Amino acid sequence: MKTSPFRAVFNRRSTAMEKYLLAIIIGYIVIVALKNPLFFSVETLFDMLRSGSGVMILAIGVLIVLVSGGIDVSFTAIAVVSGYTSVKLMLALGIDNILFAFMVSIVVGCLLGAINALIIYRFNLPTLIVTLGTASAYHGLMATVLGTKSFPTGAMPQSLVNFGSTDLIVINSDTGRYGLTVFLPIVIAVLVLTWFILYRTMLGRQVFAVGSNEESASRLGINIFRTKLFVYAYSGALSGLMGIIYFSELKYVNPVSLVGTELMIIAAVVIGGAKLTGGEGTILGTILGIVVVQLFQSTLVFLGLGSSWNDLFFGAVLLISLGVMYYRQRIQDRKNLVFATA
Amino acid sequence: MGNPILIAENLSIAFGGVTALDSINLSIGEGEILCLAGENGSGKSTFVKIVSGVYAPSAGSVAIDGGRVDSQGPRAAISAGVQVIYQDLSLFDHLSVAENIAMNRMMHDGSKLVKRSTMRTIAAEQLARVGVELPLDDRVSTLSVANKQLVAIARALSMDARILFMDEPTTALTTNEVKRLLKIVLELKSRGLSIVFISHKLDEVFAIADRITIFRDGHKVGDFTAAELDEESLSFHMTGRRVSYARYHRQIDDETPLLQVQGLGRTGNYQDVTFDLRNGDILGLTGLLGAGRTELALSLFGLNAPDSGRILIGGKPVSIRSPLQAMEHGIALVPEDRKTQGLFGAQSIRNNVSSNVIDSLLGRTRLIDRKAEQALAVATVHEMNVNNKNVDTLVQNLSGGNQQKVVIGKWIARHPTIFILDSPTVGIDIGSKQEIYDRIHALAASGIGVIVISDEPEEIIANCNRVLVMHEGAVLDRFEEADLRAPEFKDRLATIISDPEAHVKHATAALTTITPGDQR
Amino acid sequence: MNSIARLVARDKNLSVLLVMTAVTLIVLITLLGGRFLSAGNLQSMSSQVSEFGFLALAMGLAMLTAGIDLSIVSAAVLSGIVGATVMSGQLVPITASNSNTLMLVGILAALVTGMLCGLLNGLLIAKVSIPPILATLGTMILFTGIGMVITNGQSVPIAISSYSALGAATVANIPIIFLLMVAAFLVVGFMLRRTRFGRRIYLFGENDVALRFSGVRNDRVIILTYVSIGLLVGLAAVIMVSRVNSARVGFGESYLLQAILVVVLAGFNPYGGRGRVVSVALGLILLQSLQSAFTILQFNPYVKNLIWGSMLLLVMVVNYYVARWNPRGAAPAKGPGTTTVIPPESAPSAAAETHRSPDAVSTGGRAL
Repeated sequence: MKTSPFRAVFNRRSTAMEKYLLAIIIGYIVIVALKNPLFFSVETLFDMLRSGSGVMILAIGVLIVLVSGGIDVSFTAIAVVSGYTSVKLMLALGIDNILFAFMVSIVVGCLLGAINALIIYRFNLPTLIVTLGTASAYHGLMATVLGTKSFPTGAMPQSLVNFGSTDLIVINSDTGRYGLTVFLPIVIAVLVLTWFILYRTMLGRQVFAVGSNEESASRLGINIFRTKLFVYAYSGALSGLMGIIYFSELKYVNPVSLVGTELMIIAAVVIGGAKLTGGEGTILGTILGIVVVQLFQSTLVFLGLGSSWNDLFFGAVLLISLGVMYYRQRIQDRKNLVFATA
Repeated sequence: MGNPILIAENLSIAFGGVTALDSINLSIGEGEILCLAGENGSGKSTFVKIVSGVYAPSAGSVAIDGGRVDSQGPRAAISAGVQVIYQDLSLFDHLSVAENIAMNRMMHDGSKLVKRSTMRTIAAEQLARVGVELPLDDRVSTLSVANKQLVAIARALSMDARILFMDEPTTALTTNEVKRLLKIVLELKSRGLSIVFISHKLDEVFAIADRITIFRDGHKVGDFTAAELDEESLSFHMTGRRVSYARYHRQIDDETPLLQVQGLGRTGNYQDVTFDLRNGDILGLTGLLGAGRTELALSLFGLNAPDSGRILIGGKPVSIRSPLQAMEHGIALVPEDRKTQGLFGAQSIRNNVSSNVIDSLLGRTRLIDRKAEQALAVATVHEMNVNNKNVDTLVQNLSGGNQQKVVIGKWIARHPTIFILDSPTVGIDIGSKQEIYDRIHALAASGIGVIVISDEPEEIIANCNRVLVMHEGAVLDRFEEADLRAPEFKDRLATIISDPEAHVKHATAALTTITPGDQR
Repeated sequence: MNSIARLVARDKNLSVLLVMTAVTLIVLITLLGGRFLSAGNLQSMSSQVSEFGFLALAMGLAMLTAGIDLSIVSAAVLSGIVGATVMSGQLVPITASNSNTLMLVGILAALVTGMLCGLLNGLLIAKVSIPPILATLGTMILFTGIGMVITNGQSVPIAISSYSALGAATVANIPIIFLLMVAAFLVVGFMLRRTRFGRRIYLFGENDVALRFSGVRNDRVIILTYVSIGLLVGLAAVIMVSRVNSARVGFGESYLLQAILVVVLAGFNPYGGRGRVVSVALGLILLQSLQSAFTILQFNPYVKNLIWGSMLLLVMVVNYYVARWNPRGAAPAKGPGTTTVIPPESAPSAAAETHRSPDAVSTGGRAL
């Protein structure tokens, strides 16, 4: 029996949450498009791709941690710390090379993530609390050692500015010039790589197994420490990658930004169907979750609503989705005499 | 006994200064079914965990086919051919059936990548060896407990196991599922696999074991053949004492029912249950898993609203929609699962005892009267004879028996008129068991109605003056005090509980006028 | 010596915290002397700690019920915005005669908003069964959204000067808002120790199923807890607004993680049932002293993050070792994923009929 390697991708059954999100997205797009046809433009699409790239990469890191049964709030801090360290190093050494920037940032991110894993595993502490502590500590350490000076476009490494301006495809129209960002292939590569790791390697399956039931995993002889080390280091590396993309996109290096948005990104991943109880979560769901956030962020103007409506919309959608999901569970539990909560 | 496949020599282990296993010598032959018997805390599970590499022993060694496997972690034990099916099955609910079965083997083969076709092949092969078919791509969480059990067996077999440990594999299975499982176990034995079966159900133990090894307090009491033991001697070896429980006789003359349950039903749980409870009664509610006993008890306690029939208390119909309402009607429930439903583990004995009577401890200022609370807790601890009289002790630091005494004591403090105890002595030591029985007898003698839910014939016989046997949600049979006094009744009850299907046929053949509700 | 050992054994975390706070204070006083103990510094410390103290207390209540409230800061901001809008003169022009009434209405509006926010959280958790961390994550975003829509992201200034004076007012050189916070700590502490509700909060956090089996209406406990949290949050808002004389979205964002941090530092168990108000007070003193010291020494303001983060990790690690140091054998740690070797079979749970689905079992504490 010969099967296409992609069969699994196309034949997979979508989760309820994915279908639900897809319906929201399509419904919303239809409403926006009816109200304002200008919405359907390459410009809007390219814009969203550019501004959503960094967040998407972070979200994948969040996903893999949630699947492993943990929750990480340090990833924005890691992104800023690794990105800023990399920029500072480039300025100090006079190396103005985008590959060098990525390399340093990813290595730093990876190390910081590994420290998270080490503390979590060694002292058997709740992941939220540990990453809360390390987020503060990492960011504070960076600020103390490297300072918090911002670098505007002129003062930051030129290679980052250039990279952020690089477009794959350029479309010139009467309203201006729109480019498809170079971040896109990076995001796609991250998505494919993560999918491959999670679904096609034993390591990835072990991440699911550990998240599903850590005790059983260890009885089976799965190395819990190695699995967690991978999860947090990978998430850290993605944060490092995002740090450089973030500074390149803004063309401004500000080491005190970004930190504080972590809960919003976690919310996007959760709405995509990842459970805080571990073992569950899909890449498609995560993409859809981010799309919902990005849609509200960049298209409410088309509905004649200012950007101040973003949070209200997203908060409402999030609560309703969670409400539907957990209320069903509640009814099910009542029926099966499961006395879980309240 | 064939060639010894596993030899444990002088195995000892201690936790924080407490010896859990002391110089255990044990060997298991090829194709042998060994039953490991012992009370809770006797060291059975500890032994399994050492053999499977989870714990490293403080002294002694375990060898399989002559090679040492202890102290080297789970992987080494698995390579040597040790497989353990834990009571919780240790499956991954979010992964598919195929993946659950194949993961062990693929990990062991050192594969780095996952090939779905290989995975499915391994899974299908193993399921075929067990002789069942299951949907390979379904999530394990969607399977019944019995099918999960089979997945766990298939996974264990995938590693070319030489010796298979099964820890209480039948607790969550229905009669037919148990039969199927035992058949599979015997078949695996015939193919040369050695099996260590840990069970507290005597009929199963006697049905399949070649040899029975008994543990008590971390020591090995001895090896026996099934023929050498009967229920009484087994119990003696397990507990170290000969116990014969005093039986309960109702001495009250009042025939007015305290509680009447009439045609009560709850879709999917139980149906058409009718019985009366007088004061001074201890009604035994027995039957196997899925019989509906616990579901019925929860209905009486306001946690599982019935959808047909009615409940009368003191002759008046009542509606019980919450535990609070149940308590207002004088009902108390000692729940089945002590740890998750009955106890506040990291809270003091005092806070546990006062948890359901706090209203009566409020002073005029609506504040908790701490002196009264302390006095209540101290009184309860003495009345129930909890071994630790310091009421500041956290209940999680008490033994199972003493924990249960706290739970029972907290309900006695409310002076219930209808007292339901669901599986009151599961997992507790024999001494506490005796004391709890005495308390139950005294309570009933004082004039309240008691319902004891249990699947142990001995417990039913010792405590009850009436018995209701349930099977698949219906009342299968009922016995009065006169029946219970019959000399062979215990064996008869045991047979009915363990094989209700046969009793159904027997009963239908004997009685033509049986009510429809009794047959299901 | 023996009594110290007993104290340590009774509440190890409190003892660790006490020692750390004492050592820190001694070091700071030796190093900085008069500058640290000056009336000016003490006053600014006590006024800085006040609004945050309310939030930490609110977070503590949530954590006692094995929950967490991620919405405290955004609810406080929203309450502040509602109160400030009343007191801004936008709705009703302010005159000399109505300013006191408006001030009162404004304060009440802020408190009521806070309690409504808490009520929503309570309902979502108790009646819809959304895990607290997710319910409050959603309401956090929602409350911020409502605040944004009301203000359009602009700051709402206060037009009643006597209200702004409140934030700076002192009694015997002690800021009023600090006294208010001390009062709140005493009230909550008393409530937790001596009332039925307080007891039920602890029992719920310890084992909500067992509480239900004890005949307690859990949903009421939860709703009441979150409404109380809302009241504390409303009080924090009242103080916040009077201190900065305005309200705007985004204010005090860093307080959220800091509140979690203080409460965990204070030994609250994220899985519920354990934690004491006095420890929160100690945690606040410890962190505020350090923070002030760094201000006096003119360190980079972000050093605070480093100190707070490291403190949290340090306390958790110290607790880990203290828990192991126990001559009579450590009690097993509470919470899932515990892989430490504990004596097996010590807590038999073999229930003949298992009704709990594996999911239900794992929801125990995994929400964190």
